[in-house]
Amino acid sequence: MLKRFYAADWFTRVSLLWLLVVAFCSIFGRVLPLPDPSFSNFDSLGVGPFSPGHVLGADLNGYDLLANVVVGAQTSMLIALVSVGAGGSIGATLGIVAAYRRGRFDYFVNTSFNILLSIPNLVLGLSLVAVLATSPNPDVQISVARRTFVIVLSLTVVIIPILGRIARGATLAWVNRDFVTAARSMGMRDNQIILRHIVPNVLPAIYGVGFLAVGVVIVAEGALSLLGVGVIDGISWGSMIARVAGDFEFAPHSLYVPAIVLSLTVISCNQIGDYLRSRLDIREGKI
Amino acid sequence: MINELIMKLTIFGRRFAQVLIVLIGSTFLLSMLLQLLPVGLEELYVVSFDEASRQIQLKRLRLDRNPVFGYFGWLWDFVRGDFGQYIYAGAGEKPVSGQIAAALPVSLRLVLYVQVISILVSVPLGIYTAYRAGRKIEKVISYGLFTLSAIPNFILALLFAGFFGVTLGWFPPLGYVGPSEDLVEHFRTMALPVLALAIPLIAAYTRILRTDMIASLREDYVTMAASKGLSNRRILFRHVLRPSSITLLTSAALNMGGLIGGALVIEQIFSIPGMGTEIAIAIFGRQFFALQSYIALIAVGYVLFNVLVDLLIGFVDPRARERRRA
Repeated sequence: MLKRFYAADWFTRVSLLWLLVVAFCSIFGRVLPLPDPSFSNFDSLGVGPFSPGHVLGADLNGYDLLANVVVGAQTSMLIALVSVGAGGSIGATLGIVAAYRRGRFDYFVNTSFNILLSIPNLVLGLSLVAVLATSPNPDVQISVARRTFVIVLSLTVVIIPILGRIARGATLAWVNRDFVTAARSMGMRDNQIILRHIVPNVLPAIYGVGFLAVGVVIVAEGALSLLGVGVIDGISWGSMIARVAGDFEFAPHSLYVPAIVLSLTVISCNQIGDYLRSRLDIREGKI
Repeated sequence: MINELIMKLTIFGRRFAQVLIVLIGSTFLLSMLLQLLPVGLEELYVVSFDEASRQIQLKRLRLDRNPVFGYFGWLWDFVRGDFGQYIYAGAGEKPVSGQIAAALPVSLRLVLYVQVISILVSVPLGIYTAYRAGRKIEKVISYGLFTLSAIPNFILALLFAGFFGVTLGWFPPLGYVGPSEDLVEHFRTMALPVLALAIPLIAAYTRILRTDMIASLREDYVTMAASKGLSNRRILFRHVLRPSSITLLTSAALNMGGLIGGALVIEQIFSIPGMGTEIAIAIFGRQFFALQSYIALIAVGYVLFNVLVDLLIGFVDPRARERRRA
C-alpha cells in the first residue's frame, strides 16, 4: 500500500511520516526510556517544557506529558484501529453482499444503515457507552480494560453503517460492469465473483474513507472522555485532555501537548484519506 | 394532470414511509438498548415494601410486560408529548418535558447561530477561493482551512475558553445568559462556543462550495454569459452560486448530526444548560428512561431537518425538482 504514495505532495508525505511516528510510539511506547506515565512527581507539578527530566513538561498532577502522550498513543490507536477494522470489515461485507444480491436483503441492510445513521454518531456512541459501561454497583468503578472494550464495541457500531454505506455505493457502481456479467456467464460462482472482481475494485474507496473514519474515532474517543465516559483513569489522549481541561490558567502547556498531538493525527488521517480518494478518482477517469 | 398528481403523491408517500421506518427503527433500537444494561431496570427504579405496590410501580414503568410492549407504550406517550419521568427510586419523580422545555431552546439557539455564521462566512470565502483558484493566496487559504477543518471542536473550545476566556478575559469562559435576561451578555456567553463549533464547519463548507463553484465555472452557460458581456460579479452570483449551493445545503443538513454531537461536548465545556448537559446529567444519574427520550428527540429532529433540506433543495434548484419527477 505504501507504494501508492511515491508521487504524493509534501503535505501527504508529512502526514504519512507523522502517522508512522504515532504507530511507532503506540507499538514501542512502553519500552522507550521515558518516565513512568502514571507516576505523579510532586517535585515537578506543572513544570514547563524543556525542564530537566520532563522534556515536554508535566501537568498539574505531576504526570510527565511526553510519557503520557507516547503511551497514550497506544490506547488511542488501539481504540481507533480495532473499531475501524472491525466496523469496517462488518460494514463492508454487509454493504458489498447487499449491493451484489439486491432484493430484500439489500433493503433490510440499507434500512438498518439508515436507522443507525439517523442517530448522530457521537450520540449513538455516547448512549451505547453509557448503557454498557454502567456498573451494577454504583460504588464500584468499572475496570479500565472493560471500559476500553465497551468504547471499542460502541465505536465499532458507529463505524459499521458509515463504511457499509460507502462499500454498498461503490459496489453498485461495479456490479453491472461487463467483466462481472462475463464472469457470471462463464459460470463463476457468486462468492468467487465478489472476492475476485468486486472486492479489489471496492477496496480503494474503503481505504480512503477508512482513514477518515480513524480520525472520526480518535475525535469521538476524546469527546467521550470530556463527557466523562471515556477511558477514565487510563492513559489515552482523550483522557489526558479531559484531565487538564480546567488547568489552562496555570499550566497551558499541559493542554497544548495532547491537543496538538491529537489534532496532528486527525489532520494526517484526513489528508491521507483524501489523497487516497483523489487518486481513486483519477484511476476511475482513465478507464 | 391527475396522473402527475398521483405520481407526486406516491413519491411523497414513499418518502414519508421511509422516514417513518427510520424513526421507528431508531427509537426502537434505543429502547432495546436498555435491555443490555448490566443492571435490571427494575432494580434501579422500583423500591417497594409490599408486593401490591411493587406491581403498581412495575405497571406504571411498563416493566411488567415484554419490552416490545414497553416500547410501543413509550412511543404512544412520546408522540403525545409525554417524555417520561426522572425516577428517583422511592423519592418521587420529575417530568422530563420540563427539563426539555428549558434545555432545548438553548441548544437550538447554539446550533442555529453556528449554522448561520458558518454559511455567512463560508459563502464569500468559497466564492473567492473558487474565483482565484490556483493562485498562491488561494492555496494558502485552502491549506489553512483544511487544517482547521480537522481540528476537533472540543480542542478549539478548550483553547478558546483558556485563551480568550481566562488569559485575556474578553469573554466569560463559562456560563450562559438567556437572551431575554440580557441580550448583550447572551451573545458574549455564546461567542466562544459558537466560534469553536463554527470554525471547523466554515472550513468544511468553504471547501465544498469551492469544489462545486469550480465545476460550475467550467459549464458552457458560464462561457455564454461571459461572452454576452455580463459582469463577473453577476455571473458569479447569479449563474454560478445558485447551482453550486446545493451540495452546501445538503452537507449543512448532514453536518447537523456532527453539530448536535459536538454541541453536547461544547455545552459541557462551557457549562451551557442545554441538551448536552441534560444528557450528561441523565447518564450519571442513571436516568435511562429520560436518556431514551432525549436521544429519541435528537434523532427525530435530525431526520426531520434532513427532510426539510431535501425539500428546500427543490426550491433552490429547479433541476432537482425535475429529476425527482422523472
